[in-house]
Amino acid sequence: MKKKAGFLFWCGVVYLVGLLLFAVFGPHFRFSWEAQVASPMLPPFGTHWLGTDELGRDVMARLAYGARLSLIIGFSVQVLAVAIGICVGVVGVYGPKWLSTPLMRFTDGMFAFPDLLLAVLIAGLFSMGLVPVIVALAIGSWPSVARLVRTQVASLKDREFVVASQAMGASTPLIVVRHILPHLAGVLVAVMMVDIAATILAESTLSFLGIGVQLPEASWGSMIQSGNANKLVNPWLLLWPCLILSLTVFALNFVGDGLRALLDPKAKEA
Amino acid sequence: MASTSRSLVSLFKSISTRLLYGLVSILFIAFVTFIIDEVAPGDAALLELGDKATPQTLAIMRAEMGLDRPWPVRFGEFVIKATQLDFGMSYAGVREPVRDKITRALPTTMQVAFLAICLAAIIGLTLGTISAIRQNKFADRAALSLSTLGVTIPNFVLAPILVYVFAVQLNYLPTSWAPPDRRTAPDIFYLLLPVLVMAARPAATLTRLTRASMIDILQQEFIRLAVAKGVPPFRLIFLHGLRNAILPVVTAIGTSFGFLLTGSFVVETVFVMPGLGSLAIDAVRQRDTPVILATTLVAGVVFVLVNLAVDLILPILDPRIRESQV
Repeated sequence: MKKKAGFLFWCGVVYLVGLLLFAVFGPHFRFSWEAQVASPMLPPFGTHWLGTDELGRDVMARLAYGARLSLIIGFSVQVLAVAIGICVGVVGVYGPKWLSTPLMRFTDGMFAFPDLLLAVLIAGLFSMGLVPVIVALAIGSWPSVARLVRTQVASLKDREFVVASQAMGASTPLIVVRHILPHLAGVLVAVMMVDIAATILAESTLSFLGIGVQLPEASWGSMIQSGNANKLVNPWLLLWPCLILSLTVFALNFVGDGLRALLDPKAKEA
Repeated sequence: MASTSRSLVSLFKSISTRLLYGLVSILFIAFVTFIIDEVAPGDAALLELGDKATPQTLAIMRAEMGLDRPWPVRFGEFVIKATQLDFGMSYAGVREPVRDKITRALPTTMQVAFLAICLAAIIGLTLGTISAIRQNKFADRAALSLSTLGVTIPNFVLAPILVYVFAVQLNYLPTSWAPPDRRTAPDIFYLLLPVLVMAARPAATLTRLTRASMIDILQQEFIRLAVAKGVPPFRLIFLHGLRNAILPVVTAIGTSFGFLLTGSFVVETVFVMPGLGSLAIDAVRQRDTPVILATTLVAGVVFVLVNLAVDLILPILDPRIRESQV
């Protein structure tokens, strides 16, 4: 496996760029996502390209708004999770023992907590909204990042270039920032792509269960939920959000796998 | 004889340390849940009296419900009572002991999760083994694509679509769950879709794991030696290959089973099943603190027990682990 990004990787990249544009411009393209614009339950392929939902809102605009929500949540959750994970992971290796041991025990404990249950608890008990959902999902996903960072840092710690800069008198923070973290960046970016997919899925699960983002907002999960309720009348309402969600998860996984092959030094040697 | 008794003692020791560790993690899970519930805005007294309650009546209500005591006291009380399987009374809906709600919900979830993990294990081991033997051939690629689908397609997408196709359009299966005494078709018709949906993801991950583990084993020297000695293919694959490759898979079956038992929210919502998952969701929606605490606790206990069972099965399967424990 020399450096080569496969066909699926580029498909994923193209799809994600398209999704980004859709999320930015789509919610107000032709129709507004929140307004009732036509009679309810119109079939697709007419004036409303994907039809209208049970309240006469344009499905395509709502999908675009859902894309915006999914991307914002997926990205901010993972930025939070990676930030916490890096701090905890680095402290777990370089920190003083009285801090690192309990911290890693705590990480293990959180890791063992069934993460969907945790997200349901936090998002459900705090008043529904964007921030509780982001916090809930971030709390569920930092432990795996912390574990990854910890093992990686622990293995980098004894490499020659780290030992050499230590011998030259570099301080620990400098070594971590200049020598260790750049090595981690590739792996972390690849993992982040796959984890964003997991986060988007988790967010959709929460809104599917009705404890995610508030209802008038269009989330793919809540669209699937109402599509499920209306599937006898208009199965299209179920199909579209299922399709876009599945494609997005696929694309993120393909891009994540491709990036890992490109950026992870271990994957290159294999 | 001495060595067997010594190994029994060490087995007992390792089980008890694991139980202790499991107990700590159950306590941790209960504690985290308790704190989340504590920090979240509003409480049971407010729920009971509604928004119009005056501060005075709220204070009286809190005192009546025992909510005015400091939280460490209440958490301690919860833990002590929980050890006696007393989870208090439910705050919402029918006022009944939480224990009754749990004992009613648990069998449904257990039944479906158990069948799902069996199905997933059968599919995963079969496809994974075939995949490994036919590496990079058509069967392998097909199995891998299928498992990619299984891992990425979420069950709240799979479940409604399967219901739409098989229950609504083809009318082969009922659209939702029914309690055993109100079923109009054989049990399997009601169980099929929920079990299938729940099995999808673990089946996919187990396929991948079996494949990877099997490929790893098949490259080792003792397999080449067996081939050279002329061991028949069937014996080679099952007794020499799979016997060794199955160990990490068993661990994964355990964790998957734990996740199925504790993460059945979606399937139970779609099929309207009165299991542990829908109990937890309802409790969270209605802020029914005793039920929330009890369901998380049960989930934690189940999780720990399943992992303990795996730890006990592994030494039976692998003499190397057995010896390392002595």
